[in-house]
Amino acid sequence: MFKKFIMAATVASLPLASSVQAHDQKYTIGLAVANLQADFFNFIKESAEEEGDRLGYEIITVDAGGDSAKQVSQIQDLITREVDALIYIPAGATAADVPVRAAKKAGIPVVNVDRNTQSPPGDTFIATDSEEAARILGEYVAEVTGGKGVVGVVQGQLGTTPEIARDTGFEKALANYPGLNTVEKQASKGWHHDEGVSIGQDLLQRNPDINVIFGRADALAMGAAQAVRLANVSHDVLVVGFDGDREGLIAVKQGRLAATMTQQTKLMGRLAVRFAVDLIENRFVPAEMLLDATLTTKENVDRFIEVHP
Amino acid sequence: MYAHVKRLFQFGEAGGPFIGLILLCVVFSLASEHFLSARNALNILDQITVLGILAIGMTAVIIIGGIDLSVGSVLAFATMTLGWLMRDGGFPLPVAIVLAILAGGGCGVICGLLITIGRLPPFVATLAMLSGARGLANILTDGRQIIGYPEWFSELATVRHFGFLSVTMSVFIVLAILGWVYLRFRAGGRNLYAIGGNSEVARLAGIRVRLANIWVYAFSGLLAGVAGVALAARLDSSQPSAGFTYELDTIAAVVIGGASLSGGKGGMGGTIVGVFIIGVLRNGLNLLAVSPFVQQIVIGAVIAIAVMMDTLGRRRRG
Repeated sequence: MFKKFIMAATVASLPLASSVQAHDQKYTIGLAVANLQADFFNFIKESAEEEGDRLGYEIITVDAGGDSAKQVSQIQDLITREVDALIYIPAGATAADVPVRAAKKAGIPVVNVDRNTQSPPGDTFIATDSEEAARILGEYVAEVTGGKGVVGVVQGQLGTTPEIARDTGFEKALANYPGLNTVEKQASKGWHHDEGVSIGQDLLQRNPDINVIFGRADALAMGAAQAVRLANVSHDVLVVGFDGDREGLIAVKQGRLAATMTQQTKLMGRLAVRFAVDLIENRFVPAEMLLDATLTTKENVDRFIEVHP
Repeated sequence: MYAHVKRLFQFGEAGGPFIGLILLCVVFSLASEHFLSARNALNILDQITVLGILAIGMTAVIIIGGIDLSVGSVLAFATMTLGWLMRDGGFPLPVAIVLAILAGGGCGVICGLLITIGRLPPFVATLAMLSGARGLANILTDGRQIIGYPEWFSELATVRHFGFLSVTMSVFIVLAILGWVYLRFRAGGRNLYAIGGNSEVARLAGIRVRLANIWVYAFSGLLAGVAGVALAARLDSSQPSAGFTYELDTIAAVVIGGASLSGGKGGMGGTIVGVFIIGVLRNGLNLLAVSPFVQQIVIGAVIAIAVMMDTLGRRRRG
């Protein structure tokens, strides 16, 4: 409840914060992105750069291509270039703490996005409330199936924060429906589309009764949907994804995915830049900012395709 | 008894690996009730199509004593070229398919020229292409995937004609047979073994070694292009990250199939068995719900054991 209140208060103060930027101070903000191959990160990057342009700050973007060791070096270079603030979207299974420590040592404030670091955490952290979003998705599945179903899950990369949070939230919802159970799970190595096809096929082979598949990301879900097509099963299989990336939304519109949870990636990028500036100028910034994701089905998908939140 | 085992090892060039494959199938059939079925066999065939197409080209490369590390990246470049030509270039899809395959072949020709004219070791030349082609694949769309293929295109991988054979699978099977015939019965194919055995002797014997080298890498690139198109049909989309580390799976399949990285040895039959071993392993372990981390260990162990069985088997014979 309190968290919600802070969130509302901060969002309300945002227009104020940006109007303060009338003075012509030029800041340089380093943006370390986990992996630009993924639409999710690409959206954050684009919106952060747009916001930087709009407010007149220089954004220096580096892409780690999913490699956390590479990212550590890239951030060292950003620190050497004396950026005024760092926006850090950690790559790899767990968020490396080293870059945050190095930045703090150099007196550079850090905005963590998507995954937080442990010791120390970022000065602020922006992410989707994945657990709550996955719970909403679970409730949707229960509603559509009437609380009865055999669920197969194509998991993301084991051990990563999104995989764990999406599992916890989804199972929390299913726990209320004794007739709806996750019977099969299989993990992918890297959230890839092609893994979704093979794992989807093998899940259906393992248990032909599966009538719900949850792909932990849209790419996996779309792969699983393809597997359903290949398998030619006699009953309907409800395939749901998570993220609401460009292709995922189109898949929802075409009916290949029944639903996805659209994250407010563009808002994340904008917020990250504004928080970075607030930190540089020593204004109050919440320690954690969790954003909602919206259940997206055929009914409401059009507006997300038009303007991504 | 020992004589029996010995005879088994002599069963064709792919004898050892073939026995391994049968053993694997027996083990999985006993361990999982879902493994031994027509539908699962089709799943496996479907899952190995892309790897199999790549492995055909890799077999020729390894026979001449080379290596092609670029196939995964070239596959990605071809699959992105396909989508880009269709969506942004306005080409009709059949034309785009041909051009995408040729783009893969182009990468192969460049590798071949770097090796023969540029005098780079194959490892280095194709390592450079691994990096370059991946970059090109990303540049085409700024790292984004491409969707929106027409229905008939994705049906090449999804619709099973005569109840079992999709177009992409048939392409793989036809290419494998052609490759087998060429390596086994054509002079050009036999020459490749001579080059791999000793390229200097081959040259003195009148084989045009340089030209053969360029052809082999071009062929490997072309097949990576075909694999890229097949993967686009299978995924119903083109992804610049496609085929990441496929070169390692491909090399593993060829080596499991009895080819030697020092050249002069190997064959299409063995390679196909190798491809099946990897495909059956992945599929079977998934059916048993084995975690991907454990799968990596098992696949590593199988590569080591398969090659060991093969070399030990050969030594006993010799």
